[in-house]
Amino acid sequence: MSWRPACRPPATGDHQGSPPPDPGSVSGVITGTGPGPRGATISTVTTTVPAAPPRPPLVRPRSGRAIAGVAVGTAAHLRQDPLVVRVAFALLATTGIGIVAYGLLWLTMPVAAPGDEHDEPPLPGWRPQGAKQWIATVVLGLVAVSLLSGLTRWNNSVVILPLVLVAAGLTVIWRQLDTDRTLAVAGARWTLAGGVVLAGAGLVVLLATTGQLANARNGFAATLVLLTGLLLATAPLWRRLVDSRDEERAARIRSEERAAVAAHLHDSVLQTLALIQRHADDQQSVGRLARSQERELRAWLYDPKVVREGGTWAGLVAGLVAEVESDHALVVDHVVVGDAPVDEVLAALGAATREALLNVAKHSGVTAADLYTEVTPDRVSVFVRDRGAGFDADLVPSDRRGLRDSVTGRITRLGGTALIRSAPGEGTEVELALPRVAFA
Amino acid sequence: MTRVFIVDDHAMVRAGVRAELGGAVDVVGEAPDVPTAVEGIRATRPDVVLLDVHLPGGGGLGVLEALRAELPDVTWLALSVSDAAEDVIAVIRAGARGYVTKTISGPDLLDAVRRVADGDVVFSPRLAGFVLDAFSAAGAAPVAPVEEATDPGLDLLSAREREVMQLLARGYTYREIGSRLFISVKTVESHASNVLRKLQLSNRNELTRWAATNRLL
Repeated sequence: MSWRPACRPPATGDHQGSPPPDPGSVSGVITGTGPGPRGATISTVTTTVPAAPPRPPLVRPRSGRAIAGVAVGTAAHLRQDPLVVRVAFALLATTGIGIVAYGLLWLTMPVAAPGDEHDEPPLPGWRPQGAKQWIATVVLGLVAVSLLSGLTRWNNSVVILPLVLVAAGLTVIWRQLDTDRTLAVAGARWTLAGGVVLAGAGLVVLLATTGQLANARNGFAATLVLLTGLLLATAPLWRRLVDSRDEERAARIRSEERAAVAAHLHDSVLQTLALIQRHADDQQSVGRLARSQERELRAWLYDPKVVREGGTWAGLVAGLVAEVESDHALVVDHVVVGDAPVDEVLAALGAATREALLNVAKHSGVTAADLYTEVTPDRVSVFVRDRGAGFDADLVPSDRRGLRDSVTGRITRLGGTALIRSAPGEGTEVELALPRVAFA
Repeated sequence: MTRVFIVDDHAMVRAGVRAELGGAVDVVGEAPDVPTAVEGIRATRPDVVLLDVHLPGGGGLGVLEALRAELPDVTWLALSVSDAAEDVIAVIRAGARGYVTKTISGPDLLDAVRRVADGDVVFSPRLAGFVLDAFSAAGAAPVAPVEEATDPGLDLLSAREREVMQLLARGYTYREIGSRLFISVKTVESHASNVLRKLQLSNRNELTRWAATNRLL
């Protein structure tokens, strides 16, 4: 409840397959047959490619894809312009080989790990990636259709439409499942459902136009029964698989959190404990160490992020209290009400506050002080109070400058008021107030 | 002699508190967790329970909620290392009469125990700061529309109460506040218990928000 890791581990999705074999990054081994004069032994020539900068692995990037990123990924791997590879694929596609090769590569090439991008910033002025991909897909689909119609002269052309439907549906499904987008995204599910409907409709139309629907119905029913039975029979297994996956994920998050806490404790608490052991005889420094460690741990556990990261008055006060406490034998109990972003004026007020605290440390003779500061819409007030020796303001020699210059002077120059209440033996209270309109 | 029951999960703390309170009060029992505490407090009926806010098995809040209605005569003084606003406000709203941090010195703790036993309330400077934050009158521009028939006075501190809270936050004792404001210590005490009552009963936005974000209601 009190803290959460700032960032979740990136959802790596489920394609955590082994990294692709990368012939470029290891030394290339070219195995070939030697010139082999008749009867000669077949020699194996092994050449080690000089380790030029390793080739980027053969992966499909997450952005800059036209269809599935195969061409871009291949181009990156071959250190070619993507356009060259695309044209090559397109040319090969006219013979049919390109399509098969593309499909196989699509199947086998893993998706690039997030953050592992080869920086290819999307061209400004381009349509969004998604749209671009869709257009490419549609165009390629049309090309495929025309090719198909050419190839399928043998058949009656009514099958074309259903085939196209099926292909389109499959493409949609593939595209949807292929990206690392989780299905939790609302749009993704609908697109997926649309793809399924499209493919299903294509299938039905195909069967209907070829007059196989009646036949298929029996087979379909049988398959459905079979599948349902299979699904029911293995349901516990699926359930367990899903459960164990969830458990695994939870365990991973837990262990990462634990590691973060452990790292923090090691850097702070354990170090301090070691220091305390070493200084066990020196009571003062032990106290100081314990106190500063306590403050740090407390801030880590309880303080809101803005206070920890500074930039606001509360953070500034916490920081200067910490500083004074670590430099002097003074324990400051500080209470901050309200908050405001730090500007020049507040920074000056902070400096004056610090000076007042230092004054307590030097002259009061006590080791504790109370600091209270309140930010209201019209003013910021600071109260520094100690129960120490106190003094009679009239008796302070005029050459003693501490409070007078660094505190009172500073505040009045900013248009605020500084009031010092003190009497011998009754402690001192310094009250600083700055109107906020002055720096609104 | 005041009969005190100590609830804290650390044996070291219990021993330390016992030693600091010394012979000045009668420590009738101690407990390290919620069930033991509930049982022990039922059995011993102490005057004051020193209650750690963070306890295994439900926290100090659990003990308070289990026993508050049943034992109205017991006074509760929360004792904690946590300065987190929601912890402090939660135990106060659940019925604790005061809140002190574990860094409090022995004599101060004894004084706090005596005061809650006498029916006073104990504000640490920090608690006073939280109260001021929660009730910051100046920042209350968007006054919430009255949802139920609640006393609107509960949502605001009077000028005097604010003054008292500010002085408490500045580290003044009740006596010092009295002489500073030219009022009697008794009057200061009554202001303080009024503030505590408001803190417990108010429906003020900030309090509700704190409670809601921490699912305390």
